[in-house]
Amino acid sequence: MRILLVQPAAFEPGRLGLENCLWMSEPVALTSLAAMVPEHEVRILDMRLEPDAELNRVLLEFKPDLVGTTSMTTDCYQAKAVLAIAKGTVGPGCFTIVGGHHPTLSPEAFEEDVVDALCLGEGEDTFKELVEHLAAGRSRHELQGIDGLRFRGADGGFHTTPKRAQSRDIDTFPPAARHLIPERYRSEYFFFIASPMASIFTSRGCSFDCNFCAIWEFYERRTRFMSASAICDRLEQIPEKYVFLLDDNFLTSRKRLEELCDEIEKRGIRKYLLTQGRADFIAENPDLMRRLRQCGLMMVLSGYETNDDSTLEELRKKSTREQNMKATSILRELGIISTGIFMVRPEFSERDFDLLYDTVNEMGIPLPLVTILTPLPGTQMYRARQQELLTRDVRLFDLLHAVLPTTLPRRKFYEKYEQFGRSTWPSIKSGFWNALHRRPGLFLRSLPGILRFRKKFLRYNKVSSDVQSWLRDEVGIISIDAMAPPAPPRVELPVLEEVRS
Amino acid sequence: MSAREFLAGLRAEVESHPGVNHLILARLSMVPFTREDYKVMGLQHYPLVGTFTTYLEHLLLHGPDSDSKQWIAKVLVDEYGEGSDGKDHAELYREFLASCGAAPGQELETPLHPAIPSFIDEHLRIVTQEPFLVGLGALGPGHEWSIPRMFQQILRGLRRACFEEREINYFSLHVEQDKDHGRWLEEALERLSESSEAQAQVRRGARLSLEARARFWSGVQQKIVRWRQPNTMHTRPQNAKGWEALSEITLREYRKHASLERGRVA
Repeated sequence: MRILLVQPAAFEPGRLGLENCLWMSEPVALTSLAAMVPEHEVRILDMRLEPDAELNRVLLEFKPDLVGTTSMTTDCYQAKAVLAIAKGTVGPGCFTIVGGHHPTLSPEAFEEDVVDALCLGEGEDTFKELVEHLAAGRSRHELQGIDGLRFRGADGGFHTTPKRAQSRDIDTFPPAARHLIPERYRSEYFFFIASPMASIFTSRGCSFDCNFCAIWEFYERRTRFMSASAICDRLEQIPEKYVFLLDDNFLTSRKRLEELCDEIEKRGIRKYLLTQGRADFIAENPDLMRRLRQCGLMMVLSGYETNDDSTLEELRKKSTREQNMKATSILRELGIISTGIFMVRPEFSERDFDLLYDTVNEMGIPLPLVTILTPLPGTQMYRARQQELLTRDVRLFDLLHAVLPTTLPRRKFYEKYEQFGRSTWPSIKSGFWNALHRRPGLFLRSLPGILRFRKKFLRYNKVSSDVQSWLRDEVGIISIDAMAPPAPPRVELPVLEEVRS
Repeated sequence: MSAREFLAGLRAEVESHPGVNHLILARLSMVPFTREDYKVMGLQHYPLVGTFTTYLEHLLLHGPDSDSKQWIAKVLVDEYGEGSDGKDHAELYREFLASCGAAPGQELETPLHPAIPSFIDEHLRIVTQEPFLVGLGALGPGHEWSIPRMFQQILRGLRRACFEEREINYFSLHVEQDKDHGRWLEEALERLSESSEAQAQVRRGARLSLEARARFWSGVQQKIVRWRQPNTMHTRPQNAKGWEALSEITLREYRKHASLERGRVA
């Protein structure tokens, strides 16, 4: 079979979004699927890096029997557009399938005439069985024997098969088919100054249950780890100097990480590693962090979320402000670049913004990222607050727009939000000088990446430093006047003497 | 190849062409675009609406015999307003623009993406300078077979954006009318494209038209993206930037330029 796997583009190239400036990973979901069907002819197309017309050109030239795409929440419309073009260009005989977080957690959003099937949950085995079924010439409407699918039956309606158990040992999955990534894309994947950058998963799932996150729901609270030797096997196959370990929470098991360090040292693997991990783990394991740094760890992306313990508790984060402060201090000392994610809440006053920015500056984080609290579909928070949503247009669920009513007028809210780059400049400056001072070799070797980042930053800064970027995105979608109802008037309690009298 | 086989192959080619399956069309059908987005699209599309009759009139003059002119004449009658309460298509489109929030006359003053005047120029060139069958391929398969498919996607988006049926009459009318036009055309083409030379000319016309169409949609896509970008806010809401802006002209300027060109030729 001829199979085309397409990574959809960000909706509007050049608008607000991390992929413009900070982070674009290779399409790992697609290369993982491709690895499952090596006997078939598979092509990968990354529409984030291609002009629109390339999709039509490839469809006409390759004439795939199956087109698959993947979708996070904000990609939903784009993913469906990809499948619409596939059907329009190749014809209705072309089988179309979409998988990923959003189809799994909000399957109803994909029930369109251009979609033949949705892959629910982890996709590899489902995809392999589907391809085998179709390649054998069996009916596309009789897929009930394949677990983890929602498919269009002969009656035109969608049917769901039993949930697929997500229990397979992840060591047994074949390595992602990275050889299918066209050579011209490879230099385009990056994180900050790390470029060209490869990406791999070494674990799946997260055992925490933050109420704003859907990862643990997607993986049903289970975390599965790849063994140290399997990780190193994969690292050895990667030609890129920088590797992003895309795990939802890499810093979880001390034992596993020690084994990984042993294996990296034993094999003499020399890579710069980037990953995501929790601040409380960093705070509690400074010795292990030192060892990981010696094994190449150059950057950790952590969700610090906020500057006060009560909000951390409200978010079910199970970490504290003190741990956050300690973690950044450890990372600073080791010269590991800390990318800290913070959340602005819709109820923020101007003072709340200032306090948050002050905290960031106090922490001295080189790469602070400030997002807006967003109830993503599939999360506990979404279920609790969906009645409050100002829109269900998923383009605005990018963590950069307030889809809940703000206490401040929207213009003022975004004015304060947009200032975060300037307001946290002391943190960025001190974080960088510190990292540069401690690891000059890393920065020297990353000079091409630094120049590239600077170019991207200057271009993107025109969009991200103008409050109109946010307001313009919302024209016709969210009213500029949409605000949270005023808080009830404060009741002055009588003083104790008055009560006594 | 018999004319019938040729036409079946050509139809498949038209329907799978990037001009008919452009990403912006799929986006229009899938994304909850707002009236503001449709206004941007409509103001770029309007210049094409007003000129289709001009292409037909030119082509009519070049028709080799009355048989070949019949199809053109029938379509022209529709375009002049039959089937739409006497309103010509440009008038219908202005009603759509008004429902999107466009001010009267805005269609004449909106800076156009260079692909829009270029689309019109290309079609005027085809119907005046190319052989008759190339022109017929461009206006027939290139337009009448492609428009119902394209407009169905637009209609889906317009309905999602809660336009009322009376506001989007231009599009729904074309889905129906152009099916008729396409059928009439098929009858005409069956008679006219029996030789391989004739078939090659018809195919060439269709391809030229669809390639211009693909560039047109890319231009519309750029406009829709750009109007939400901050650097184009307020002062020049739909203008391009820098050097690109120099090549953008309004429909009023384009018409003035075109009439000067005609005068020069005369």
